[in-house]
Amino acid sequence: MNATSHAPRGALARTAVGVTGVLVLAASALFVACASTPPAPTASLQAAQLAIANAEAADASRYSGEELGEARTKLASADTAVKEQRMSMAERFAEESRADAELASAKSTAAKAKAVNEEMKRSNNTLIEEMQRSGDKS
Amino acid sequence: MNPVNKSGVIVRKTLIATTVAAVLLAACAAAPLKPDGAVAVRSKLTQLQADPNLASRAPVAIKEADAAVSAAEQPQADKALGVHRVYLADRKVEKARAQAETRFAEDQRDALSAQRESARLDARTREVDVAKNQADVAKNQADIAKNQAATALVAAASSEQEAMELQRQIDVLQAKVTDRGVIVTLGDVLFESGRAELREGSAGNLNKLVAFLDKYPDRVVAIEGYTDSVGSEDYNQALSQRRADSVRSYLVRQGINSARLTASGMGKTDPVASNESANGRQQNRRVAVIINNPPTALR
Repeated sequence: MNATSHAPRGALARTAVGVTGVLVLAASALFVACASTPPAPTASLQAAQLAIANAEAADASRYSGEELGEARTKLASADTAVKEQRMSMAERFAEESRADAELASAKSTAAKAKAVNEEMKRSNNTLIEEMQRSGDKS
Repeated sequence: MNPVNKSGVIVRKTLIATTVAAVLLAACAAAPLKPDGAVAVRSKLTQLQADPNLASRAPVAIKEADAAVSAAEQPQADKALGVHRVYLADRKVEKARAQAETRFAEDQRDALSAQRESARLDARTREVDVAKNQADVAKNQADIAKNQAATALVAAASSEQEAMELQRQIDVLQAKVTDRGVIVTLGDVLFESGRAELREGSAGNLNKLVAFLDKYPDRVVAIEGYTDSVGSEDYNQALSQRRADSVRSYLVRQGINSARLTASGMGKTDPVASNESANGRQQNRRVAVIINNPPTALR
């Protein structure tokens, strides 16, 4: 994200300088670039919050506590970074928090799916064993 | 992308001072290094893609992970950004694996359900077999009971028939049914007065008795002779005895087993009518044949 947003900006600046050669435009472009740095990575922060909420709903605290804790810690770090006006760092923290939370959700879902299968296997085995036992009897 | 841009810059500015070029070349030489951990995360992804159970089960997540790993593999001057991308790539690979495992577990469930169904079906079949066996046994028992009932019915019917036949025979003999058995009273018409030889015309009556005894061979017979009160006791006793004997010998001559027959003279005892009148005395002069009930009939 960071890299891609930087690149067009650089390219724009270069073309502006290369094609028009007008210093005013270059100056204004640089000004815009400077002014655009501070906005908080709101979208990334919200995405992280949503992912954490989803993970909590998926019982991640039970099945994937480590990843969920990581996600919460990173979200807190992102908030701190926003307060410190270190927006690119805030965005990275938010992205990592979201990745942690999404992993927590996926792991929880997988753990539950496996638990269901284990239960099915257990009950199948019980059924088969019972049948063999009653088969021995008769 | 930055290194590419920088190399572009290098190309364009080859004419500029060599010192600058040297610095930029040094940067260029350092640039191709992949961020730490990028190789490890690629190998993690490759492992997931090579797993036959998982590779095809989370296509979207694996594609996203692949893109993230590719991004992480880009040589990165910003070391922190490189670490960040490797971290994201690692998380996405892990997420893709978890999703594939979920899907795999879900797909296995069909097989598990099928297994359960087949186990249930087996159990049901077994139950049905057991129940069927039990039903067969019960049916056999019912059949046996039914047969027994039918047999009993036939037996009852035949014994009823026998009883009817016996009654018919008894009617033919004009006999009386008492507790001792069937009593056939042969009147004094059998004998001449004062004599013990059977009259010639008496055979008809006696032959009915023979037929009866032939038909019921398990019955024993007591033949008892009686007289009226005329004459001495000894005379009457002797006469009644001889008359009873006459009847017995006749029956034996007709083929009745003598072991079944006893003969006794009772004299003038047990009169069945008054000895005051001629008619009464005639009734008292008699031979009674007591056909005992068979041992089975007593039950």
